[in-house]
Amino acid sequence: MTHNFIRGKILPATILVAALVFSNAAFAQVPVSKADSTANDSLLLKQVEQQMAAGATTDQPAPQQTRSGISSNPDIGVVADFRAAYTSQGKKNVDAYLNETELSFQSVVDPYIRADFFLSFSRDPDTHKYGATVEEGYLTTLSLPAKLQLKAGKFREAVGRINPVHPHALPFIDLPNAYVNYFGEEGLNDEGVSLSWLLPNKKFYQEFVVQATSGAGESPLFHRGDNNRFLYLGHLKNFFTVNENTSLEVGLTGITGPNDSSFNTNMGTADITYKWKPLKLNTYKSITWQSEFFYSNAKYTAANTQNSFGLYSFLEYQLAKRWFLTGRYDYGQKPYDKTMHEQAYSLSAGWLATEFQKIEFEGKFTQPNFQSDYGQFFLRWIFVIGAHGAHQY
Amino acid sequence: MKKIISVLSLVLLITAGAQAGNIKIVTTTTDLKSIAEFIGGNKVSVSSIATGYQNPHFVDPKPSYIIALSNADIFVTVGLDLETGWSPQLLSSSRNSKIQKGSPGYVDASDGVGLLQVPSSVNRGEGDIHIYGNPHYWLDPLNGKVIARNIANGLERTDPSNKAFYEANLQTFYSQLDIKLAGWVAKMAPFKGSKIIAYHNEWVYFERRFGLQIVDFMEPKPGIPPSPSQLVKVIREVGANKIKVIISSPYFTTSSSDVVSKQTGVKELTLATSTGAFPSVKTYFDVFDYDVDQLIAVLK
Repeated sequence: MTHNFIRGKILPATILVAALVFSNAAFAQVPVSKADSTANDSLLLKQVEQQMAAGATTDQPAPQQTRSGISSNPDIGVVADFRAAYTSQGKKNVDAYLNETELSFQSVVDPYIRADFFLSFSRDPDTHKYGATVEEGYLTTLSLPAKLQLKAGKFREAVGRINPVHPHALPFIDLPNAYVNYFGEEGLNDEGVSLSWLLPNKKFYQEFVVQATSGAGESPLFHRGDNNRFLYLGHLKNFFTVNENTSLEVGLTGITGPNDSSFNTNMGTADITYKWKPLKLNTYKSITWQSEFFYSNAKYTAANTQNSFGLYSFLEYQLAKRWFLTGRYDYGQKPYDKTMHEQAYSLSAGWLATEFQKIEFEGKFTQPNFQSDYGQFFLRWIFVIGAHGAHQY
Repeated sequence: MKKIISVLSLVLLITAGAQAGNIKIVTTTTDLKSIAEFIGGNKVSVSSIATGYQNPHFVDPKPSYIIALSNADIFVTVGLDLETGWSPQLLSSSRNSKIQKGSPGYVDASDGVGLLQVPSSVNRGEGDIHIYGNPHYWLDPLNGKVIARNIANGLERTDPSNKAFYEANLQTFYSQLDIKLAGWVAKMAPFKGSKIIAYHNEWVYFERRFGLQIVDFMEPKPGIPPSPSQLVKVIREVGANKIKVIISSPYFTTSSSDVVSKQTGVKELTLATSTGAFPSVKTYFDVFDYDVDQLIAVLK
């Protein structure tokens, strides 16, 4: 019932929004000389007449993109992630490999939308064979009214602070246990539409995102059904500027979607991030404290519903221009059986040679209650060629 | 559906009309803000994303900046990839079609600037190379005129009814700048050809205008922190060329210049690279008043 109700609301809204994009596009186009009796065109003509009267179009032409138009190719970049790992368990416990090669193609399509593609070539941990996937590929509107922005395609979903970020940009090498328990190593990454609204709040930044996607392919908690059952997500992001050096972000996310038992999983998550980064010497010093809390209510059979909980919390300290130290604590219950739980401590050190190269080491000690404790060491060397866009703050 | 669109368009048109007279400008840097205030006068309200004491290459794209951008009529950028690490992301998140690249409200202040150090090939092995040329062009006060012209063009595209007002302010700005520039050049004239060391390669336009000669940089390559071998090289150069001063900016640490200063007795000077670098540097003109006075004091 619930999902039908939401679908009933969201899909017509999406169609309306899509209609607005194209109507807006038509509206903004250069005047057509032939008279047309439609209300839309007479409005357009009125606007053109007004501008002609004001002399707006005659004197100053809009700027030409002279120097930036060297080629019409999109911005192209390659991010490589080379790794070495040791784990205190198993027969083959030392490994070195090119974990991932990510190709990015990014460009504005036309005055109304932009496109971002991230193609990933990565090694399957079991077969050791390389395979290609579209990690993300989506369009983003640039000219929707009412501070709305629509995204359509395949994208990392708006859950908290880790999921939207490409792993190579995180200050640690492995992902928090609780996050992996719920969303898997690849995160919640799905196909569909996302509508974000910038709330008219002048005091602090507030953004509300709703996403309707076809159901996650590789997440342990959510499953792509073969019927018309979709995954719905809502995220509220609040960003407060405490002073020019300090900021606080608080986010809330709700997710509902089908799981692999053809029942539903409902999830609630909360994230809180405190950042201190002095404006004047922002390349030398910073502190980030970030935590996320996950709660899941998963129905597996008519008689078996599991409620589970997980969290991570990390403190990242920038010692000097090139040196970062990050300590993290993880706690996670297995979503299918909350009596199975684990906690882990990890410490990472990162050396950033330039914006295009970093080397990180991480040591992690995990204590599960369902098997013996184990330790792991990781090394990661990230290097980038070509264009590379900014990361989220 | 058509009715809804018509009503919506009408509402948008009316709100756009009502905003005339209070043009909201967002600039990436404080120098652009200062010049926009000269040209726009009481017809504009201007805010800058970066502060004057912040490295303009590395501004963090905080979501809070999006609030101002989403309501802006005009966006002014230094351009030439100076802000490439942060402003494109903010712009596309702004949901504001008026200020996107190619829209009338998008002002690239570098349009028409005579560029220096335009590379013939690009290789990141040379450090942070700017493919379009050195982007620190506002540090030649004559380029302030180009910036002002570009901002006036943007204002006239957005608010054509006040064209005469902006043109008059532009002419006043030109003549004030001419008077000021003559004073700065006269003050610096006795020190023409003075050899100096700079921390980062951001002074080439200033150097040309005032006849200084930058012998070397503390950074071995742009954006790469000073290495011990570079410090040794600089220490030798200071001795060989009788260099009196190392100039730097508020957003770089002084630890490496301190070492050179200790070894050689060379003076260290933190100059204003932008409006607002220090509390007394309140306008674009103050940047050069401050820097020229500071330089003269140590070069004497």
